[in-house]
Amino acid sequence: MSTSTETLAFLREVRLFKDIAEPELMILGQSLQERPLKRGQVICREGDPGEEMFVVRRGSIVISKLVTGRVEQVLARIGPGDFFGEMSLFDRSPRSATVQADSDATLLALDREGLRRMTEVSPKAAAAFFHALVLIFIERLRASGDLVAEVTRWGLEATGLDLDSR
Amino acid sequence: MSDLRTSSTPTPPRRAKLELLVRPANNAEESFEVREIGSATAFVQSRPQRLASGSFELAEGGSRMAGQRHFILKNTTTERYLMLTEPEKFLWEQMDGRTSLQEIATAYVLRYGAFDFDVIPNLIRKLQRAQLLTLTPSSRLRQALARNRRQPVVKAIENGLTVLERINISSRNVQRVFTAMYRFGGCLLFTRAAVVVLAALALAGLAAGVKLWQEGGDIVAGFGGHAIRAILMVKLLFFFTVATHQIVHGLALVHYRRRVREFGFTFLHGFVPTFYVDVTDIFMASRRARVVTAVAGASVHLVLGSIWFIVASLSPLGSFTQAFAAASGMIQWQAFMIALYPFCFIEMDGYHVLVDVLGVPTLKQEAMAWAGALARGRAPRRFGRSEQLFALYVALSALSVAAFVAFNVMLVLHASS
Repeated sequence: MSTSTETLAFLREVRLFKDIAEPELMILGQSLQERPLKRGQVICREGDPGEEMFVVRRGSIVISKLVTGRVEQVLARIGPGDFFGEMSLFDRSPRSATVQADSDATLLALDREGLRRMTEVSPKAAAAFFHALVLIFIERLRASGDLVAEVTRWGLEATGLDLDSR
Repeated sequence: MSDLRTSSTPTPPRRAKLELLVRPANNAEESFEVREIGSATAFVQSRPQRLASGSFELAEGGSRMAGQRHFILKNTTTERYLMLTEPEKFLWEQMDGRTSLQEIATAYVLRYGAFDFDVIPNLIRKLQRAQLLTLTPSSRLRQALARNRRQPVVKAIENGLTVLERINISSRNVQRVFTAMYRFGGCLLFTRAAVVVLAALALAGLAAGVKLWQEGGDIVAGFGGHAIRAILMVKLLFFFTVATHQIVHGLALVHYRRRVREFGFTFLHGFVPTFYVDVTDIFMASRRARVVTAVAGASVHLVLGSIWFIVASLSPLGSFTQAFAAASGMIQWQAFMIALYPFCFIEMDGYHVLVDVLGVPTLKQEAMAWAGALARGRAPRRFGRSEQLFALYVALSALSVAAFVAFNVMLVLHASS
């Protein structure tokens, strides 16, 4: 994909790429594949193999995990500038959640080869990329802890379980 | 999931929410609906399921205090009990696993014409507690020791009490033993003839006791100037009769076809050696059965006290036998009074009869909490029937304990002089 001015302007706003200089960003942009999606379209299902990570360029994406039968728990709703799918890209494990377009959307896909190329061409840009990635991982880890606490609280309130008075 | 950010300004407690993605039944994967479910919504839509019939027993108790009916609910698997009011029993009966809490609340309003917003959550908590926890309340002494355990002496006392508390010689397989005792003579204790004999003994014992009291100075001369040491020996002997008291409680349970779940010996609060019998199964029987069970155990002390007094009155004046018998009779009768007298801050047999009649199973705890709040100036201004009862209980108990202590001091002084 050739890196248009518009795409470059978008990538500059993405937190994951914020510390990457423009020349490297243009090279990175060439590794990104644009994927248009219709509302409801499933990008990947929980358990699928994964080779790419995605940056949301337009639209809204919902990430969910199967709870039971037809019911899934919504883990996150993400929009322009957010990314997902990086876990399978790095550890080659199956997708941990189902990802689906909540509206018409456009994604930018970065595969393992594109990531390798960026690391080879510009280790400095790769370091900036991974540093930003680690910071976002930390945020997400903290949010996961909050989510566990929230779900636990929900369970206590929904069942009327009162541990205070025990 | 709802916003997890926190605010620095105080806000009312927020109800947790879950975001669920629900797919349609036709399995069209691309369509879905996201529903936000608040915990409060989930709670009112939950469908509580009571135990299967056969796993619980429900028996009616009674209450004259509030003019309400009470029911005892027993989980026959965990052997836990709950007291339910009539509205709570109604709610319990609705909890069939198909009816939501919202529907149960509606049924409640239709039946009682009003709704108490706490009644269902409180009942659910009670039910959960009854199934999940065994509460062993610690004594005030243990609480005080725990607060000061940094001091080596206090720590040592606490450790000592903990060791003593662990001494528990008991058996849960005693039903057969009690049934055999009942069959081979114990049943005679629950006949009209036994009541007549008890009354006759009590009268004879009273007459002997009055006579002995008038001769008090000469009687204690039999101890040979070692009155206090002799009284301690009498108390040691008395301790073993407590076992008989508990055995008769157990026989009463068999008489009313209930189960004796445990009999044993332990150190109550770590320092009061005592025998005990688990009579909780009598909660499922009639009030008459509960009262007879409570009184039967205490009657042991009336019988033994009367016999000791009669022995003392027949013994040579000033002899050791007469002194020992008289002192034993006195302590047995005191035990009888204490066991049946409900106003002494101790939850003995008489207290259980009283709270059963009043329908206030936590009278002492509530009265003490009320008195504590009153002392701290935090008692509610309302002085209704409950508060009057609490005040009466605390006042009578305080006076009674003071009178009991004074009587014993007088007794010892009388003996020593």
